[in-house]
Amino acid sequence: MGDLVCRELRKAYGERVVLAGVDLTVAEGTLTAILGSSGSGKTTLLRIVIGFVAGDAGTVSIGGTLVTDSASVHVPPDKRLIGYVAQEGALFPHLTVAQNVGFGLPRAERKLGGRTADALDLVGLDRSYADRRPHELSGGEQRRVALARALAPRPALVLLDEPFSGLDAALRGETRAAVLDALAGAGATAVLVTHDQAEALSMGREVAVLRDGQLVQTAAPQTLYRTPADLELARFVGDAVVLPGEARAGTVACTFGTLGVRGEVVAGAVAVMIRPEQIRVVRSADGGGVPARVVGSSFYGPETVLHLELADGSGTAVSARTFDGADARAGEEVRLLVEGSVMTYPAAGTP
Amino acid sequence: MPRGLFAACLVAALLVAAPVVVTIVQAAQGGLSVAGTAIGSTSTLTLLLHSIEVAAAATPICAVIGVGAAWFVERTTLPAPRLWAVLLVAPLTIPPFVTSYAWANFGPSFQGFIGAAGIIAFSYYPIVFLLVAVSLRGLDPALEETGRSLGLNGRATFFRVVLPQLRPAIYGGTLLVVLDALVEFDAFVGLKFQTFSFDVYAQYQLGFSTSGAAALSFASIALCVILLFGEARLRGHANYTRVSQGARRLAARYALGRATVPVMVAMTAVVAISVGIPVGMLVRWFAESSQAGLSSAGGNLSYLLPATLTSVEIGIAAAVLGLLLALPIAVAAVRRRGPAVTVLERTMYLSFALPDLVGAIALAYLASHWLHFLYGSFALLVFAEAILFAPFAVVALRATFGQLEPSLEESARSLGAGPLASFWRVTLPLARPGLVAALVLVFTFTLGDLSTTQVLLPVNLYTLGTEFSTNSSTVAFAAAAPFAAVLIALAMVAAYLLMTRFGTVRALVTR
Repeated sequence: MGDLVCRELRKAYGERVVLAGVDLTVAEGTLTAILGSSGSGKTTLLRIVIGFVAGDAGTVSIGGTLVTDSASVHVPPDKRLIGYVAQEGALFPHLTVAQNVGFGLPRAERKLGGRTADALDLVGLDRSYADRRPHELSGGEQRRVALARALAPRPALVLLDEPFSGLDAALRGETRAAVLDALAGAGATAVLVTHDQAEALSMGREVAVLRDGQLVQTAAPQTLYRTPADLELARFVGDAVVLPGEARAGTVACTFGTLGVRGEVVAGAVAVMIRPEQIRVVRSADGGGVPARVVGSSFYGPETVLHLELADGSGTAVSARTFDGADARAGEEVRLLVEGSVMTYPAAGTP
Repeated sequence: MPRGLFAACLVAALLVAAPVVVTIVQAAQGGLSVAGTAIGSTSTLTLLLHSIEVAAAATPICAVIGVGAAWFVERTTLPAPRLWAVLLVAPLTIPPFVTSYAWANFGPSFQGFIGAAGIIAFSYYPIVFLLVAVSLRGLDPALEETGRSLGLNGRATFFRVVLPQLRPAIYGGTLLVVLDALVEFDAFVGLKFQTFSFDVYAQYQLGFSTSGAAALSFASIALCVILLFGEARLRGHANYTRVSQGARRLAARYALGRATVPVMVAMTAVVAISVGIPVGMLVRWFAESSQAGLSSAGGNLSYLLPATLTSVEIGIAAAVLGLLLALPIAVAAVRRRGPAVTVLERTMYLSFALPDLVGAIALAYLASHWLHFLYGSFALLVFAEAILFAPFAVVALRATFGQLEPSLEESARSLGAGPLASFWRVTLPLARPGLVAALVLVFTFTLGDLSTTQVLLPVNLYTLGTEFSTNSSTVAFAAAAPFAAVLIALAMVAAYLLMTRFGTVRALVTR
């Protein structure tokens, strides 16, 4: 029993509303990523769940036990059995790795080393680390020790607050994988708070997007990316090409011709949202397509993002993701095809 | 704020404020006529002005020496910075009354205003030095680097980036100096210069009028309250805790280059005046005694060991009690800021508002009227010293607690440790250098205290301070010298501990 249920959580600091009624359910043994830009209230949400901050209204229960009810119940953080990995890890500088990991264990178990060693194994750290001091560890190792410390007392729930911030890209990927493995190995329910879209999409069984103190959408990563609830969200979770169009009976007519629509269809004038990787760049006119001119390109190694301008006179800016490594010069004339279905939103959202 | 912490703060604040409350009661009992006579006497205003003049002259000197010395020791390539640090803190450990007699020996011109202001400036600049040095160590070097990258030269970086961040330390340090100067008595015992405290002393001594002395203390209480809350406003929301995250590099030291020699000459002058004069005078007294073959010095030596033991006992007991009084307030001031905490924290400094003598009399009065079992007891003296110097413990603890990341305590809480357990297992071990500093400060000041001891010391006991005083008042300085020498030696050991311990704070907390 380790599911997390938040109901109608509200919090304001004076006039500033930070959480405006948040409902969140995290199923037992799964990881939910809470994605939000800075100031969206995600850290406040985390701190209410763990009990560092008291909410103004709403309830939190863990594994069916009510731990926060604004009116009557406030279980102190040390009685909630929540594992917490703070930003930067927050390892105790006066203790060794083993003492850090064993901190939350009963006195008898701290010395034995059994559970401590297990926790280190869980996060993929060699046991030879046990006697080192936190300042002798790299950033990635510090995060792993922090996770081992959080997992050692076998918490019902683990909360991770931007656990990978400040790590370089290579270390990030490696540490992410180690954290996912460790969480899966422990079978823990987990909540990860992040402002990084790729991190949220790649790590969460579900992703909940927090904006202005409200959860705008909670869904599986694929669903969130493919069918975001509104245009702003579409732009937040990934790059988006947005064009005006006219929707009718499951299709939409726009510069790229008539395209299939997924999700809810709104008839009439709409904004059409296409992901850049759906746009294929062809150089011959044989296959049809819409003429466009290359304005510039950004090379990322495996992929190249082309910045284009439609040659239909509207001058609409479009970007496309290509993986063939083909060189594209500014000014080159190409043709664009759209693959797959697209999302439509009420036209008011058109820029 | 947790109820337990609030209760602990409240008890500490009430205990510290007790002498002030009793003084007000005493003044009220004397009635308006006594108070009027005491306050209205022609000398009172003159003497109060004297005190204010001394504070006004000495405080800027303290600030300049303290900040300058801290900068050179912490952030430049000055040779042997550790040694300088110990030498610069040493004056704090020399009892003010010893310094006073030493200066007075230089002749009449040093027995007036110049002597008074000089003694205060050169005895108390280490307070500013210590606080600023700790603050400098806590600064993120990235901020200075940013300043340089934005086109500021070294001097401009110091004044526009570094100095503003040192403000809390400078305000806090100079506040302690001003308050101390206003009610100082011990440091002027050797001089012919009369200040406000002298007036209070005279009221007490001549007419044996406690009400008159209490009424006079109103002036210093009022001044103190204005200063305390003024400083709280000035300091405003200045944040002691480091805001930036991530690994912190060691700050670079600026090359002194051609300035090395002038800087070292200036620092040597400061040390010569503050440490050299009292210690040199002590050596002279010793020399004179051996020349004259004085037997009185030899006779007195049998008192030396018992006096030392009593002094150390009082010092240790007061240090422990002072630490206990300061702990809850320091924690609350760093972690639970709010109007209630500000008022409680400022109350801790109220013991500065009373001339030592008045505070001691108030406690004796309290014991004789309501708490008979405490009257004339060792415990009452220890309590008096503890509340007198607890503010220094608060300052030292605040500086240390402020540098601990709150996320460390939060992590401990999330791992199942209750508030007390996480304090015990995480906060205290990390703050140990600050705890040692607080203990050493209270211990040292208690050793160097004279007026409170003289009023409250149980009849059958004597301390290093009272023996020095007894012998020096018969102008037999040679006989007094051994007691002063032991006092200074003890205090120097304490100073060494202070600097080595305080210095490790940052090394432990940051990577």
